[in-house]
Amino acid sequence: MSLLKVNDLKVHYPIRGGFFRRVVDHVRAVDGISFELQPGETYGLVGESGCGKTTSGRAIIGLNKVTSGELLFEGKDLSSMGRVERRKYTRDIQMIFQDPYSSLNVRKNVLNIIAEPLRNFERLSPKEELLRVQELVARVGLSPESIYKYPHQFSGGQRQRIGIARALTLNPKLIIADEPVSALDVSVQAQVLNFMQEIQDEFNLTYLFISHDLGIIQHMCDRIGIMYRGRFVEEGTADEIYSNPQHVYTKRLIAAIPEMNPEKRFEKMHLRQAINQEYQTDYNNYFDKDGRMFDLKKISDTHSVAMQ
Amino acid sequence: MFKFILRRSLIMIPQLILLSLIIFMLAKAMPGDAVTGAFQGNPDATPEQIEKIREKFGLNDPWYVQYGRWIGKAVQGDFGMSYMHQQPVTNLLGGRVENTVLLSLFTLVVTYLIAIPLGIVAGRWTDTWADKMIVTYNYFAFATPLFVFALLMLYVFAFVLGWFPSGGSVDIRTEVGTWDYVVDKAKHLFLPVMSSALLATYGTVQYLRNDIIDQKINDYVKTARAKGVPEGKVYTRHILRNSLLPIAAFLGYEITGLISGSVFIEWIYSYPGLGQLFIQSINLRDFTVVTALVMISGAAVIIGTMLSDIILSIVDPRIRIE
Amino acid sequence: MTHQIIDEKKLIAQEKLNNPSLMRTIWREIKNDKMALGSLILFTIIVLTAYLSPLFIDQTALTRVNFLNVWKPPSLDNWLGTDDGGRDVFGQLMIGTRNSLTIGVCVTVLSGLFGLTYGLISGYYGGTVDNVLMRILEFLMVLPSLMFIIVFVVIVPNYNVVTFILIMSAFAWFGKARLIRSKAISERERDYINASKTLGTPGWKIMFFEMFPNLSSLVIVNMTLTLANNIGLETGLSFLGFGLPAGTPSLGTLISFATNPDIVKNKWWAWLPAALLILVMMLCINYIGQAVKRASDARQRLA
Repeated sequence: MSLLKVNDLKVHYPIRGGFFRRVVDHVRAVDGISFELQPGETYGLVGESGCGKTTSGRAIIGLNKVTSGELLFEGKDLSSMGRVERRKYTRDIQMIFQDPYSSLNVRKNVLNIIAEPLRNFERLSPKEELLRVQELVARVGLSPESIYKYPHQFSGGQRQRIGIARALTLNPKLIIADEPVSALDVSVQAQVLNFMQEIQDEFNLTYLFISHDLGIIQHMCDRIGIMYRGRFVEEGTADEIYSNPQHVYTKRLIAAIPEMNPEKRFEKMHLRQAINQEYQTDYNNYFDKDGRMFDLKKISDTHSVAMQ
Repeated sequence: MFKFILRRSLIMIPQLILLSLIIFMLAKAMPGDAVTGAFQGNPDATPEQIEKIREKFGLNDPWYVQYGRWIGKAVQGDFGMSYMHQQPVTNLLGGRVENTVLLSLFTLVVTYLIAIPLGIVAGRWTDTWADKMIVTYNYFAFATPLFVFALLMLYVFAFVLGWFPSGGSVDIRTEVGTWDYVVDKAKHLFLPVMSSALLATYGTVQYLRNDIIDQKINDYVKTARAKGVPEGKVYTRHILRNSLLPIAAFLGYEITGLISGSVFIEWIYSYPGLGQLFIQSINLRDFTVVTALVMISGAAVIIGTMLSDIILSIVDPRIRIE
Repeated sequence: MTHQIIDEKKLIAQEKLNNPSLMRTIWREIKNDKMALGSLILFTIIVLTAYLSPLFIDQTALTRVNFLNVWKPPSLDNWLGTDDGGRDVFGQLMIGTRNSLTIGVCVTVLSGLFGLTYGLISGYYGGTVDNVLMRILEFLMVLPSLMFIIVFVVIVPNYNVVTFILIMSAFAWFGKARLIRSKAISERERDYINASKTLGTPGWKIMFFEMFPNLSSLVIVNMTLTLANNIGLETGLSFLGFGLPAGTPSLGTLISFATNPDIVKNKWWAWLPAALLILVMMLCINYIGQAVKRASDARQRLA
């Protein structure tokens, strides 16, 4: 059974206008996406900014209200649950935030930050709590003395590790990583990513990895979903997406990855021109008359494309 | 633009209705009604008589009927009878409205006459001795309670030095319409106006000084300087144009302060205005007058705030977005 | 094990040093501003004298009317003379200061708590909740509060000090609620709030234990400055005769002697000291408040 099955998820925001501020239209931030996460895998959600990938992640964890659709976690629908019932699943789904500077409360020291979930869900004596936190802090590679320090005393990479430690505290099954490294220096990005892979095996985690960086996605993910304007464009294994993109949007994205080898530059340029040509001629194959994507269609067991 | 003005004006209607409802409830909670008034000096009234009067005044009707009747009359300027004075409240208000409006108007004018130059000087020549003096003065203006200041002014200028009269609005011996009358009125107004105006400058000075300091470093000012606009013109043509406009809009917001101010000022200087009437009536437990005064003041504040909001939205289009 | 505990205490102490608390920063700021330091010292002296005065002053003697001793000017027996009942003005001044301060503090704390809760709820939940709460607040803010307070003081049954404090507090929180709401609404967009939500922390806990500490400096600054306001309002109301009930002297009660021209002119000792004392206290509190304000904003600090 899949760990999480997202079924036709929609998140719409009303646009109000006119004299009485009636709802005149909706912003379709997420407009009917479906995908599955298998235990232990890393699923990448990619797309340009504003395509709805972060909104999807936030909807799954409950930060955004779901307009319609199902979120089946181990077969139970999270979106139709009441607050009390949903709280039981808080332990199982955790999140790593994009900005390590605003995601840690500057008024709390590391001990209080990491112990926050423990205090919500477990009754521990201060000593037990201290030991747990020290263990976690050590696991994410920070010195045990640092638990009384405040966030501003750490570097961005260290802060993100604190954020990861906090997410790990409750031994979750699924971690939603919303652009976990895009606010970090490139030099520490790899460190944090590799660390995330290490703990994935150790803690038996499933990742929903949200990013706009195709390089990172390729490095991290087993399967990938490409999003555009709130809908899925293409879904498949990393290999399929990178070496055999089918949708013209995916092709354009992959072609936009900068080429490091100077000798291949021209080749790449021609490729881009060809794709652009295809975009213009075959537009109707990929988008309907409203400019909306079609529903996903399977072209192999693992690979689906939104084409007519 | 038009939509904003219309919407903002419409908000006023529920506010006014709510205000009148609250005041009506309070009036019901106040001891004494038309019956008490009618039987003043006649403690031997029989229950039947009282019941008759109650019926006549409609006091046995459901509350919403009474409310409707009360608000209907109030809109036409009829606030009922004062028990103590045995005459319509409207008559009592008569000359007092004029006095209070006069006092408030002069206070506003003097406040701006003092505050605007001070604010400009402090903002333009920051960190000079003039600025430091103005900041210190402003600090006192902010910290000093109005009634304490007004009393000290009264004590020093009316009693110790004897330069001004200590109370009233005009000497009754002077004749209306003569020059002496105007001078005497001005003399009576001087202390009350100065007492509130000297303290009321706080907000305007503070705003102007901060705003000018903020504007000074803006790029449009730098551009003006760079293309050789003389320093004086940078201020008159560029900075002040932006800084002074919102002050016009704050006028309506000042009404709240003026009303609570007038209660203290008129009481201290025994100035025959609405504020003094309010305290007198409440001391006499003359609640029809009290109700009328609270209603009028509340409506004045609501309307003033609305005007300010609208003017501000014209001056500063960013506000309209919300 | 013992070794570890000692070590930890040292660690905590070390980090306290590295992260000076707001109180420490405020103290440093005040120390570096001579006027603020002077104000603090003067204010402390006034407060101590007022609160310790019952030890030296016979309070029952203050309420006893003595017609042989009416309107005596200041002398060695009565430092500030006597009033219309022959009661010692200096003693009343001390008791009045104590009462005014106590009430000012109570009103500030009560209205602060209420404004804080209202503002936090409005800002934290946002959306419809915020919309409704703000429309209500807008309405409350346009009420002529002074008049309403006076009306309530007059019509409330069993009027006493507690009801007076409640009535004043009921009209003193509007501005605070709006200030806190505007800050809370920007704070709620920050990810640490979202993080707390995903960690299963209940809403009230997030409001008071996550959001509030980030607004605390704002609240402290605002409380200091409104303390002065509230003392001013209480003495003003007592001056008009709608403040403390008879028998509980306030600075305002003493000043209300000044409604009679003869007393204003010829019996200055009855009201002038109280008026000046209020003025001095207001200036002191405001000076301290300004220093606190600077301390809460790193860009404005002098120290």
